Amino acid sequence: MATASPSVFLLMVNGQVESAQFPEYDDLYCKYCFVYGQDWAPTAGLEEGISQITSKSQDVRQALVWNFPIDVTFKSTNPYGWPQIVLSVYGPDVFGNDVVRGYGAVHVPFSPGRHKRTIPMFVPESTSKLQKFTSWFMGRRPEYTDPKVVAQGEGREALQKAVFSVHGLTSPRPLALGHIKGT
Amino acid sequence: MVSEESHLGNQPEPVQEEPKTHLLSMTVRRGPRSLPPIPSTSRTGFAEFSMRGRMREKLQAARSKAESALLQEIPTPRPRRLRSPSKKELETEFGTEPGKEVESTQQEIDSRSYSRVKFRDSARKIKPKPQVPPGFPSPEEAYNFFTFSFDPEPEESEEKPKARHRAGTNQEEEEGEEEEPPARGRGKEMDEEELLNGDDAEDFLLGLDHMADDFVAVRPADYESIHDRLQMETEMFFIPSRQTVPTYKKLPENVQPRFLEDEGLYTGVRPEVARTNQNIMENRLLMQDPERRWFGDDGRILALPNPIKPFPSRRPVLTQEQSIKAELETLYKKAVKYVHSSQHMIRSGDHPGNFQLDIDISGLIFTHHPCFSREHVLAAKLAQLYDQYLARHQRNKAKFLTDKLQALRNAVQTGVDPEKPHSSLDTIQKTINEYKSEIRQTRKFRDAEQEKDRTLLKTIIKVWKEMKSLREFQRFTNTPLKLVLRKEKVDQKADEEAYEAEIQAEISELLEEHTEEYAQKMEEYRTSLHQWKAWRKAQRAKKKKRKQAAEDHPDNEIEEPHPEEDLVKPTPPEPTDRAVIEHEVRERAAQSRRRPWEPTLVPELSLAGSVTPSDQCPRAEVSRREDVKKRSVYLKVLFNNKEVSRTVSRPLGADFRVHFGQIFNLQIVNWPESLTLQVYETIGHSSPTLLAEVFLPIPETTVVTGRAPIEEVEFSSNQHVTLDHEGVGSGVPFSFEADGSNQLILMTSGKVSHSVAWAVGENGIPLIPPLSQQNIGFRSALKRADAISSIGTSGLTDMKKLAKWAAESKLDPNDPNNAPLMQLISVATSGESYVPDFFRLEQLQQEFNFVSDQELNRSKRFRLLHLRSQEVPEFRNYKQVPVYDREIMEKVFQDYEKRLRDRSVIETKEHIDTHRAIVAKYLQQVRESVINRFLIAKQYFLLADMIVEEEVPNISILGLSLFKLAEQKRPLRPRRKGRKKVTAQNLSDGDIKLLVNIVRAYDIPVRKLAMSKFQQPSKSSRMFSEKRAASPSTHSPTHNADYPLGQVLVRPFVEVSFQRTVCHTTTAEGPNPSWNEELELPFKAPNGDYSTASLQSVKDIVFINIFDEVLHDVLEDDRERGSGIHTRIERHWLGCVKIPFSTIYFQARFESQEDEKLLQATEKFQAECALKFPNRQCLTTVIDISGKTVFITRYLKPLNPPQELLNVYPNNLQATAELVARYVSLIPFLPDTVSFGGICDLWSTSDQFLDLLAGDEEEHAVLLCNYFLSLGKKAWLLMGNAIPEGPTAYVLTWEQGHYLIWNPCSGHFYGQFDTFCPLKNVGCLIGPDNIWFNIQRYDSPLRINFDVTKPKLWKSFFSRSLPYPGLSSVQPEELIYQRSDKAAAAELQDRIEKILKEKIMDWRPRHLTRWNRYCTSTLRHFLPLLEKSQGEDVEDDHRAELLKQLGDYRFSGFPLHMPYSEVKPLIDAVYSTGVHNINVPNVEFALAVYIHPYPKNVLSVWIYVASLIRNR
Repeated sequence: MATASPSVFLLMVNGQVESAQFPEYDDLYCKYCFVYGQDWAPTAGLEEGISQITSKSQDVRQALVWNFPIDVTFKSTNPYGWPQIVLSVYGPDVFGNDVVRGYGAVHVPFSPGRHKRTIPMFVPESTSKLQKFTSWFMGRRPEYTDPKVVAQGEGREALQKAVFSVHGLTSPRPLALGHIKGT
Repeated sequence: MVSEESHLGNQPEPVQEEPKTHLLSMTVRRGPRSLPPIPSTSRTGFAEFSMRGRMREKLQAARSKAESALLQEIPTPRPRRLRSPSKKELETEFGTEPGKEVESTQQEIDSRSYSRVKFRDSARKIKPKPQVPPGFPSPEEAYNFFTFSFDPEPEESEEKPKARHRAGTNQEEEEGEEEEPPARGRGKEMDEEELLNGDDAEDFLLGLDHMADDFVAVRPADYESIHDRLQMETEMFFIPSRQTVPTYKKLPENVQPRFLEDEGLYTGVRPEVARTNQNIMENRLLMQDPERRWFGDDGRILALPNPIKPFPSRRPVLTQEQSIKAELETLYKKAVKYVHSSQHMIRSGDHPGNFQLDIDISGLIFTHHPCFSREHVLAAKLAQLYDQYLARHQRNKAKFLTDKLQALRNAVQTGVDPEKPHSSLDTIQKTINEYKSEIRQTRKFRDAEQEKDRTLLKTIIKVWKEMKSLREFQRFTNTPLKLVLRKEKVDQKADEEAYEAEIQAEISELLEEHTEEYAQKMEEYRTSLHQWKAWRKAQRAKKKKRKQAAEDHPDNEIEEPHPEEDLVKPTPPEPTDRAVIEHEVRERAAQSRRRPWEPTLVPELSLAGSVTPSDQCPRAEVSRREDVKKRSVYLKVLFNNKEVSRTVSRPLGADFRVHFGQIFNLQIVNWPESLTLQVYETIGHSSPTLLAEVFLPIPETTVVTGRAPIEEVEFSSNQHVTLDHEGVGSGVPFSFEADGSNQLILMTSGKVSHSVAWAVGENGIPLIPPLSQQNIGFRSALKRADAISSIGTSGLTDMKKLAKWAAESKLDPNDPNNAPLMQLISVATSGESYVPDFFRLEQLQQEFNFVSDQELNRSKRFRLLHLRSQEVPEFRNYKQVPVYDREIMEKVFQDYEKRLRDRSVIETKEHIDTHRAIVAKYLQQVRESVINRFLIAKQYFLLADMIVEEEVPNISILGLSLFKLAEQKRPLRPRRKGRKKVTAQNLSDGDIKLLVNIVRAYDIPVRKLAMSKFQQPSKSSRMFSEKRAASPSTHSPTHNADYPLGQVLVRPFVEVSFQRTVCHTTTAEGPNPSWNEELELPFKAPNGDYSTASLQSVKDIVFINIFDEVLHDVLEDDRERGSGIHTRIERHWLGCVKIPFSTIYFQARFESQEDEKLLQATEKFQAECALKFPNRQCLTTVIDISGKTVFITRYLKPLNPPQELLNVYPNNLQATAELVARYVSLIPFLPDTVSFGGICDLWSTSDQFLDLLAGDEEEHAVLLCNYFLSLGKKAWLLMGNAIPEGPTAYVLTWEQGHYLIWNPCSGHFYGQFDTFCPLKNVGCLIGPDNIWFNIQRYDSPLRINFDVTKPKLWKSFFSRSLPYPGLSSVQPEELIYQRSDKAAAAELQDRIEKILKEKIMDWRPRHLTRWNRYCTSTLRHFLPLLEKSQGEDVEDDHRAELLKQLGDYRFSGFPLHMPYSEVKPLIDAVYSTGVHNINVPNVEFALAVYIHPYPKNVLSVWIYVASLIRNR
């Protein structure tokens, strides 16, 4: 270990957003991004991505399969702020407007190996029935200003009064985590 | 079935030959009947057939009708006829069209064909041979026949018998199908059986219905009567009763229920169970398990008080997906020293060396062992008794007491002796009495002792006799014990005398006692007699009286008043009879004492006896001895409950003694808490069993090796052993008597002889932990154990008392409520520690403190992380805190530490001027506190900050949006649409670019074609007279006139610099150029942090400089002119515009917190205004420097300008106004967004503003407005948007007949219709007592009417409905000014000049910088003139003077004017002129600074920078 270069450890994440269960919706796509602490920096791979649009499988499972790959490497000096993957799922509503169908976040697994995570997806609800109607009518549902808030602590108190509904049940995601190595 | 089988089974062999004939005959016989299976499988075929059949049927019916002959036959054959056609067909097709037939049957047999074909294949292999005979079908036919089933029936009929054979007997199967491998045959058998069970069975039945009677038996339906069924059920079922079970049923017979609770034992509270459920359960248990082990002594079901286990017993659930391996993944943990018992550890640091405890285990003796024979038991008893005897003999208490008695008697005798007169009689009597009582006591003791001795002796003899008789009885001896009674001859006479004397003495003493007693009793008797007599008298007198009374009144029967008590006449005590006493004494003596004639018996127990050898013993005894031989014993030594060593395993001797003779040296580190020996016994090769535990005391510190006596510690075991030989066993009753009475139960017990001592070191020092250590260890152990003591209560010292109390008050040790107390007592008394059972918060904290706090604080990494989490500005966005301390540079903290240091210390170096340094500090502090306050406030997010949600549309918006639909897609006059806000989180470096659009310029000064080129700063303000009168267009002709020969006099270009990035436009020509270029500058946020707070604190300024590009021909040789052009580009700074970044980035954010009513009104007013004109600025309340909301008009109040200024132009109001405006403009500008991070707009009052000497537009405008008000002008604060400031505050004044707009920051003023006015729109006007909001259609100052009295144009805040409440002003009564300090200003001036010169030299590191002193002094003289004239109208004189003085220098220079705040802006300004960039070899420079002081330390700085190039 050379003292000249700062010591870091690397976290390699590769896996995929496999599939989702959104019983009510179809033709969804998902967007992923990572939220990490100040001591973390991505060194390789893509931090964000938008998947293709997928349709429900025609079998009983009714799964929305993306198999959208994730491959990113982080370096860090501090386990604090361990990366979280934030997923947000979008799809068209009745009028063809693109609306959000779910937000969810999960920490990248801490141990190496294959992991499968299932994330419950939720969406903020309109504050009143009238707004619910207008938002439905106009196709502009309430959204987070930034999907990353689901993985952050800031502003949670503002959301105390907010109502959420769980739309999608799951978004399973096997995540093969590369080994963590110190350099 | 059986009959059929036998019938067919008769011909198993012929089958091979016969099949065909048989089959054919079969088909013939039952052809029609064989069909029904077909329809069931091949419907199409059947449908086809039936169709045809029906057709034919109809035909036939028609015929039959026509014939009308066979009417009767129709009903019966109908079903047959239905089949017959198909049969016919079959028959016809049978021989002719085999292929077709195959198809039709193929379907039918599909399901079963597989096995059958196989079968056929195999059959075919064998069968061809018998088929050879002539007269039979050709081989081909045969092949077809066997390969395909034309007709299933024959095949089936052939198979069926076979199948039946097989089903019947396996042997037959073998016979019939020898060719087939058995496994295969079995498989087929299955198939065929299935076939049999399937439709073939039906087929079969149908085929053989004539035999139906043989198979079908008709029986009545089975019926069980309900009664029977119930009876059966009652036999089968058990319904537990709900009745309470009588207690006797639940207990063993003849046992009374025992209630532990009543006996005072703690039983605990039973769990709640409903009575009925309990009854049901009891009944059920009694029924199922009559052993009654479910019930306790009290006849109730056994129940734990709390059925919940204290710990979970379920193993962790392994999910299917995760392998066990993953679950069992191990983690490497560095070995850690066992620290837990450090409290009990003897600190090796204090006492070097180890401590050693020597444990000497010499041996073991069993006082009882299961292998003891009866004789052994007696022997052990005898040995015990003998030991006892020896012990008593040694002490010889009887002798001692006898001696004592003797001595006492002597003492009494001497005491009574009257020859000793030296003491008073009383005392003598007293001592004698004491002596006597003591004699009595001692005598009693002696008698008891003697009696004991005697009985002991007697028992010894008795046991010995028993033993002897036992030996005789069993005819062998087991033990070598032998008791010898030694008679000691005594001198009979002396003995008798002594005996007699003793008795006499005793008698005399007793007599004495008795006489004393008698005397006492006599006394008592006498007194009682007296009483009795008196009573008698009284009684008699009464009687007499009564008699008289009776005589007087005979009728009146006076009841005899019974006396309270009838006193009985006391009997006199009997005098003591000597004889009686003597008798008593003698009797007692005889009993307890050796009689004088008897010899003294001394028992001696020896092991001299011989043990009968095994071969002479009976078998039971032999087996016992063998059993003993098999047994061996060893001991384990446990120190602090850990095994430290063990003895060798020694066989058990015939005498049940084990000799070890081992010494264990224990090197100890921990304080000894317990020392235990465990006795293990091994029988043969089986595993050792723990017999008992022996607890050894920890030796005193004085006990060292060599001095320790061998001690014996008894142990006993509660094991139950029954043996099948002579051994008596342990824990089981046995008896010596033949009839089994007098049962004895002996438990295994024994003695361990050992010694424990502290070892002595080499130098003779005992290896003992110091005594004090023991206490500490003990105390600390208790501290761990008890929470109370750890607080420091001294209750522990009385632990013994506590234990005593606990024993006295009979606390139930089983009661869990008392458990902690009991444990505490046991700890205190035994010194044993225990694990506390209470919960302590962060009890593992110590273990997690891997470094001490000091060390943690010393860690740079930790400090960095800590500071970052505290959001200290320097570290707020520090990325990637290094892992190791060594990677963190010390300089990281330097800035921070410096800031902390400087907080109190005012550094004057940067600021030069102390006052400003103080102000800067103060500002910094205000800023910090505001930021901190706001950071907290910022944590509160509103829902709207987190979630984007559409507003509920109201009608107007809906209407508007509908209207929008009809809007033109591309309007002719497009309006600028607000950009969508980009969230700051997703930004990174390079994402943001600053776009600067340079459109055009007006009025650029031109070069004067004189001998030297001299430029003057842009004349951006005009004379007052000019402004009013002339429109700007009038200017250009004058300039145009300056172009001689149409030559371009100026070639301006614009350079924009931001964050040291420079971009410039192309060079245009002429004084009114038009560039129309967009410049792109990258933007970098500090620390890469693009959050709002960080962006707003960007202090960088966008400089827009205009330069004049001058091309110089540098060719020195005219000869080369034809071949090349050598020009040098020089650029001359013309002027600049500075736009602070804070203006570009502006995010309005107000936080509202005066009078409720007023505040509501302001909110309403603002809301109304915003609704109408959302883009127009409307201000009603502002926040003052302490964070309070203040109504804006309270800032406006006439305030006196400095008297000095008023004195300059006493008669010219306008000039005074301009001077005042200049004064105000000289106060440095500091935008609030910079100082307060864009958080809020703080308004300071004018005195605060003058003290701070810094402020933004609002403060300047307020001060200027207040000055104007005091000068008697009509003045308003004007809120609007201007270029380049953005939303800003100007001042509007009303001069005779027209309005003037003043820019408070520059001091310039503009007429209302001046197109050069930077103010672009007007939001509202604020006067000292009202606010007017612009509700005119336009907001450009050119197009609006400033007459606020017109309510249609101006919406006023206070109106008739809401009158002005008369708010007090927040401004001071008057402003106090200090006179300007000229000397200080001169000093500052010199220092600034020096600094700037140094800077210019620094910027030219590769060139020599020469200073033209002559020029500098000229400039220095010129600057005060500029200040005097406020930078106007001096240029001509100046130029002339310069020309005169400099002669042949080409001069290019410009004066800069700035308000003074600190040195850095001055340096920046000089840098931005780019004077230092001139690289002409012989360039010289001139720099002059002039500072003009104004009151209140407001300084006007003039810098004249110039470059000079000597003309050749």
